[in-house]
Amino acid sequence: MTAALIPKVVIVGGGSAGWMAAAALSGLLGRRIGEIVLIESSEIGTVGVGEATLPTLRAFNATLGLDEVDFIKKTQATFKLGIEFKDWAGPGRTFFHGFGDFGPALRGVSPHQLWLKLRTHDDTDSYSRHSIASMAAAFGRFAPPVPDRDSILASYSYAFHFDAALYGAYLRGHAQRRGVKTRDARIVDVRLRAQDGFIESLVLNQGDPVKGDLFIDCSGFSGLLIEKTLNAGFEDWSHWLPCNRALAVPCASAAELTPFTRSTAKEAGWVWRIPLQHRIGNGYVFSSHHVSDEAARHTLLKTLDGEPLAEPKLLKFTAGRRRETWKKNCVALGLAGGFLEPLESTSIHLVESGIGRLVELFPDQSFEPKLAQEYNRLMQQSYESIRDFIILHYRACHQAGDLWQHSRTMAIPETLHHQMELFKARGVVALHDSESFAEPSWVSLYFGLGLIPRRHDPMADLIEEGALRQEMDRRVRLVAGAAQSLPTHAEFIERFCKAAR
Amino acid sequence: MSTSPQDLKGHLNKLVIVGGGTAGWMAAAAMARVLKGGSYRITLVESEAIGTVGVGEATIPSLPAFHRLLGIDESQFMAACQATFKLGIQFADWGQVGVKYLHPFGPYGIATNHGLFQSYWLKRRREGYASALEEWSVTALAASLGRFGTTQSNPAALKGLSHAYHLDAVLYARFLRAYAEARGVERIEGKIIEVARSPFGRVEALGLSDGRRIEGDFFIDCSGFEAIIAEKTLHAGFEDWSCWLPCDRAVAIQCEKSNNGLVTRATAREAGWQWRIPLQHRVGNGYVYSSAFLSDEAANADLSARLEGAATTTARILRFKAGRRKKAWTGNCLALGLAAGFLEPLESTSIHFVQSGLARLFALFPDGDLDPALSAEYNRLTALEYERVRDFLILHYAATRRTDSPFWQHMGGMPLPDSLVYKRDMFLNTGRIVVLSEETFQPASWLAIYAGLELWPKRHEPNIDLLPFEGLVRQFEGMRGEIRRAVETLPAQPS
Repeated sequence: MTAALIPKVVIVGGGSAGWMAAAALSGLLGRRIGEIVLIESSEIGTVGVGEATLPTLRAFNATLGLDEVDFIKKTQATFKLGIEFKDWAGPGRTFFHGFGDFGPALRGVSPHQLWLKLRTHDDTDSYSRHSIASMAAAFGRFAPPVPDRDSILASYSYAFHFDAALYGAYLRGHAQRRGVKTRDARIVDVRLRAQDGFIESLVLNQGDPVKGDLFIDCSGFSGLLIEKTLNAGFEDWSHWLPCNRALAVPCASAAELTPFTRSTAKEAGWVWRIPLQHRIGNGYVFSSHHVSDEAARHTLLKTLDGEPLAEPKLLKFTAGRRRETWKKNCVALGLAGGFLEPLESTSIHLVESGIGRLVELFPDQSFEPKLAQEYNRLMQQSYESIRDFIILHYRACHQAGDLWQHSRTMAIPETLHHQMELFKARGVVALHDSESFAEPSWVSLYFGLGLIPRRHDPMADLIEEGALRQEMDRRVRLVAGAAQSLPTHAEFIERFCKAAR
Repeated sequence: MSTSPQDLKGHLNKLVIVGGGTAGWMAAAAMARVLKGGSYRITLVESEAIGTVGVGEATIPSLPAFHRLLGIDESQFMAACQATFKLGIQFADWGQVGVKYLHPFGPYGIATNHGLFQSYWLKRRREGYASALEEWSVTALAASLGRFGTTQSNPAALKGLSHAYHLDAVLYARFLRAYAEARGVERIEGKIIEVARSPFGRVEALGLSDGRRIEGDFFIDCSGFEAIIAEKTLHAGFEDWSCWLPCDRAVAIQCEKSNNGLVTRATAREAGWQWRIPLQHRVGNGYVYSSAFLSDEAANADLSARLEGAATTTARILRFKAGRRKKAWTGNCLALGLAAGFLEPLESTSIHFVQSGLARLFALFPDGDLDPALSAEYNRLTALEYERVRDFLILHYAATRRTDSPFWQHMGGMPLPDSLVYKRDMFLNTGRIVVLSEETFQPASWLAIYAGLELWPKRHEPNIDLLPFEGLVRQFEGMRGEIRRAVETLPAQPS
């Protein structure tokens, strides 16, 4: 047995990111890591509200060996087929960004190009009828996709809504069973090694200091190690994403359990609605330059489906990313690594990919600088591609108000500008390295926000129109029938994965 | 008239290809196939008075896919083009004189993840159980045992068998011409003396020396180095890479064949390298060199002295410069082939560039509005593709330990592009192969070159230590035998 590459990993912070890291890294104990200690403080709260996720979470949970049904029951989780965007495309209009595709290409021509060719002038939303995820969501239905790849019921995917505090607790149990130790304390000082400025130990408000070899900073916005100690730097993106606050409040459940997250555009931001089994998570992400906290609170409370279950909680943030999420012997995950508003539910996803890449680029005590360099390059790509995708929502939103007026006219990143021009010209989706969202996602957003290309792909004109129309009609019928055949979301949960009250 | 506002709204109907070399006829054939059923009229203008560069050409495994797209039968194609099978490239004397290595097509191992194989192999090597990389590639082993084809039993290991061709480029152009003409492509014989443009800059027509005027809506410039529209008319610009790839000439001679072989040979020489491309009826030979280090006469003499059989042609000298057209697509003109850029044939990528350019054109196919967003995307992707291959080629030279001539001393000390330094240092320090977007060569190919040049990482990837090692040894060592047994079922090729 060779000695562990890293004798001791110290994780700072017991929020979702911290426990996700602990649970995942605990799989390396005894083989690559000697011991893992997580430091959390019961005095410091976590940000954790109702969380919506992306389908990649399922792969993450599977890697940990979690049982899906058990996980759902323990975290009050519900299923998510995508996000419904309300009032983004104009007052009273909704569109859906579902997990899944819109049917196969024909003669190499993408399905959205086929639809563009046939669409009538005033039709901007019938494309969603090609998506099982969209249709099932519209009917309030859910069942997992079937494994048979040829079936139409294989062409979508799903994620979860869950209670982040419960998820943290669930992973905590998992990690502790696998040998992760915890300390309940506050960090009062960080000691650095004189020779190279690496973190040597953390001084706590009680008990002995904690030494370590690799430190995972999951301390949230403050970036206690990565920023306050190592000054990794922050790239501020608030000129593109001016929302800098959120108010979050849970409320009692409504009658129908929807299998999707809802995002509703408001005058100075947008409101999320995340249905869990036992309650609904709600929040208003807004720009403090455009609305007061009090007015935002008022707006939020008016949107609730049921009785508020707590006083709204205020969070403050700045959009952007840590310039180096891995510096010296410290890797920052979660909010310590960067912040992008939860408009596309990417926070947990970024933690997953941060952990995945750390495992892939795992260091030994020599901390080869190239590993950090590659890690930072890849994380930068992920943050930037998600940033661009989120900016697109703002850029093309039809809401009234100063915030949106600004967003519609501001200069946008060159990468996004190129992508949008290409789509507007001809419906081509350009993807960059480490793109988190694939072509169907971009198309959902463009079409949903009313960005209809000036032209369709001339290759679509090589297909005989009558036959194409028949095929597309057939698909719509097939999708509708398949979506209707599923049980309702509530029925499915009741039957297979109901949480104990 | 192609410039009235009305016409600009519709499709581009008249597509004109300039030049009838390999690139031109590949474009004609592919367009005839892919645009079938539309109202497109495809014309190719070429002049028999102007020769094509076409020498013996080696290709990579994307070409069989191109032929499948076109519905071309392999045996017909091979008979018509005197083609032979190619399973990889044999490099000799690159890292140091006397050392050979093979860059085979296809993956290492059997249905295994490349990263896992690489980690395993590098770890075993460090522990002193070195095995030749070639033993892990079914394609490499087939090449060294002189076997190729299909078998009845079709064992799993043969799924990784991958091939390309050596072909006579002149015959290939002729073959594709017949294909294209049979599918409605009109060929016009004539010499272009003028390119006429509208006041708005769009290319409108080509004026021929006999006074004819060929009008078009969209032009594909396959006129070779000259880039008669892209550069001479539209001044698309050229990004010069000769600081990294200083070879600027080649002398080419065909000779009689003494044996076959399923590989292209690339042998490093005093001021460049020599190719050997075996066709059915002869062998193509060439010496790619830098004129700053070697005279044409000396190159010719060196190559002539090394021929394996009697020369069947006189020596031809080709002149070129490494680099790419800054905007391969400008306005209503797309440059393909040598008109779009040149990288020496060290990894046989010329025909592949034509093919991938066509695939990108079809994915971004323009219509009458010629939206600049389409050409911007085409040019972005093309630039990345050329840069990736450029870096791969430079690596072959840059890691040399040869100091036996001024050329090799120069190559060993040359500053490298940042992108290549990043990749090389990542491999040396972490054992990781970085794959960037639009990469033509996959990690297996990069590993073949790193290993062939004896560049070894400081550490193996630690992931491998997480798996039970005995199990891995059993799995992987079993593969070597399985690969060998599979190759032995393949028919022997005439040597």
